[in-house]
Amino acid sequence: MEPKKNLGLNARLERRAILRLMAAMPAGALFSAARSATAAPKELAAELISQEAAAPYQPKVFNPHEWKTVHTLSGLIIPADERSESATATGVPEFIDDWLDLQRGDLLSTIRGGLAWLDIECNRLFGTDFIASTAGQREQILDRIAYPKKAALEDASAVAFFNQFRDLVVSGFFTSETGIKDLPYLGNEPQSDWEGCPAPVLVKLGLVGKHTG
Amino acid sequence: MPQLIVSPDAYDVIIVGSGAGGGMAAYVLANAGAKCLMLEAGSWFDAARDSKWLEWGYDAPHRAAPTPEQPFGYFSATVGGWEIEGEPYTSAPNTEWMWFRSRMLGGRTNAWGRISLRNGPYDFKPYSRDGKGFDWPISYDDLAPYYDKVEELIGVFGSHERLENCPDGKFLPPPGPRCYELLIQKACGKLGIPCVPSRLAILTRPLNGRPACHYVAQCSRCCRLSSNFSSPAVLLVPAQATGNLEIRCDAMVREVLVGPDGRASGVSYIDKKTRQEVQVHGKVIVLAASACETARLLLNSHSRQFPKGLANSSGVVGKYVMDTVMSDVKGFLPSLMDLPPHNEDGVGGMHLYMPWWNYEKQSRHELPFSRGYHIEFGGGRRGVPEPGLLSGSQRFLGGGYGLKFKQGCRKLYGSFVDFHGRGEMLPNDESYCEIDNGVVDQWGIPVLKFHFKWGEDEIRMARHMQETFQEIVRAAGGEVVQSAGPEERRGISRGGECIHEVGGVRMGNDLRTSALNPYCQAWDCKNLFVADGAPFVSNADKNPTLTILALAWRTSEYIADQVRKQNI
Repeated sequence: MEPKKNLGLNARLERRAILRLMAAMPAGALFSAARSATAAPKELAAELISQEAAAPYQPKVFNPHEWKTVHTLSGLIIPADERSESATATGVPEFIDDWLDLQRGDLLSTIRGGLAWLDIECNRLFGTDFIASTAGQREQILDRIAYPKKAALEDASAVAFFNQFRDLVVSGFFTSETGIKDLPYLGNEPQSDWEGCPAPVLVKLGLVGKHTG
Repeated sequence: MPQLIVSPDAYDVIIVGSGAGGGMAAYVLANAGAKCLMLEAGSWFDAARDSKWLEWGYDAPHRAAPTPEQPFGYFSATVGGWEIEGEPYTSAPNTEWMWFRSRMLGGRTNAWGRISLRNGPYDFKPYSRDGKGFDWPISYDDLAPYYDKVEELIGVFGSHERLENCPDGKFLPPPGPRCYELLIQKACGKLGIPCVPSRLAILTRPLNGRPACHYVAQCSRCCRLSSNFSSPAVLLVPAQATGNLEIRCDAMVREVLVGPDGRASGVSYIDKKTRQEVQVHGKVIVLAASACETARLLLNSHSRQFPKGLANSSGVVGKYVMDTVMSDVKGFLPSLMDLPPHNEDGVGGMHLYMPWWNYEKQSRHELPFSRGYHIEFGGGRRGVPEPGLLSGSQRFLGGGYGLKFKQGCRKLYGSFVDFHGRGEMLPNDESYCEIDNGVVDQWGIPVLKFHFKWGEDEIRMARHMQETFQEIVRAAGGEVVQSAGPEERRGISRGGECIHEVGGVRMGNDLRTSALNPYCQAWDCKNLFVADGAPFVSNADKNPTLTILALAWRTSEYIADQVRKQNI
């Protein structure tokens, strides 16, 4: 694998330079008689963050048992490795709970139904629920539903659940601060100039010497 | 009963709406020395303070995802949407129509795609070319000098291509293509489809005191530094600096007032904050409230003199509403997997696009539809990751969980490209709006009822888009992952979904079949003008904003000239 490096680094413009540019605008606003009726988003974000720090997150759609299951399952789908933490450690359960609260409807039923299926199936096979099962037992269950093409027909609804749940974990993890660095997404950084597609990528895509436009 | 307030000031010009058309009218007329009042139905917006530039999704509610209140997500500089509480509209049975309304200073210019394509010579005379629809009363040559001036004022990047019916403009240099764009360009080359630098109202060089782009792909948040075009930053700020422009927000105009001489004398609006009705008087009225909102205002301005509504002796007000034909395809390109990490943000839009390439075939009647479309495309590693990224990953990774799955996601990131067709809709008799007499909004103003129908031409065009985009994906060595078959409404968007609705108060050479003369002046009321997309006679695949700006400039110059000559 290519060494991890930021190919856009040289073109980066320091945030301080941006702040200087912004400060140069009259009174920090375009209009001389600036009036703003909208709430300042930065304050709102800061408020949300401070609320989070003050009290532990209270799930909005999951009961306490489901909440534990969501934590366990998120960590099994995206565990920690040398590059980043696990989905559980990066706030994915909170993301999923909030997301389901926003979407409601069929998605919520599919997820809760699927969590229930995990317990029912573990109880039937191992006499205990999913979170109390051993690592090997959980793997046995997940291997049945995590590979759609290999799954048995009678597990189809559990496969559909797992596809949806895995998508939620991916969404939550790779939009978190940790996940964005993990990808890595290297944008949202002001540049002094745009240099186009970097040479190492052109080489890998076989596009060298054919640059047009 | 709230008291009626009659504003004591009299203005030279009252402008209703602050988007592309209203902003341009204010810019030209305030600079010409006219004392202007602008009325905006939405709230104040100042991108330098209110833009969510450089914020991260993990600091935003629901990771900045779309909600019913914010249809384009938390970051988008949009106040408004397809549904606005307290401001309903109705639809006829069997009509699928979505009516987008902005409610903010600058309207849709704050969050738009900045795609700035000139209509070409064919686009002004489409009936003469293929016998369908209607010709405009003006030609490309009439508008070309105004396209020049608009591009030089607002800043548009692009390249000189000399393509048929896609006129080149006064361009800033285009940004270099992104990696996935080069890959698609190569595939298009195999298929004979042109793929050239796009034309967007974003600065790649400093212009008129505005700095060049900083390449964070966030134009939809509206640029805090004014490096892209929006009406407030580029038109209203300099207009206000003349000292001739007063702006009132939260002013929902309900009616154009008419004097005993049959001329417009002012407007009546509801102050949304106090719910009081206010009347203001002016010598010239310019409507730029957005196409259907302008039609609604005229239809609601009925009187003994004008029983069918103002400027409507032809009966054409509300008729021939058009949107843009849209169809989407998404492809997975394995060659984009596991690339060396790189920043692919660029400007807030595509760096390349595909202009319509089949004019010759159509003139030989070799295609089953009459007009053109262009292709917009996105993908790769562009933009702050949003919820939904890598969804359906099991299709490409086979499923799984754990460390191997996590590594698979990293490799899959950035390997998707999505294609979006934008095509011309023919005007038809079954697509129009009228007043629904049974329903009023919360301001007491009768609402619009919509009738809308795609023609067979549009449905065949959408099918052609689907087939073409899928061919491009395959030519790039990819796999189609999202497309629409014949059973799924043949892949065509819903009316209004593209937010390109134009027409409804069309211009023309004949006062029996048009509401406005070739200068967008009402035939029936010579101090009344329309400066938004409502005068459009056709809706070429070229996105409407640049033409709205050019037409509004031309109309405003005409107003200044007529006032000078004392003809108004």
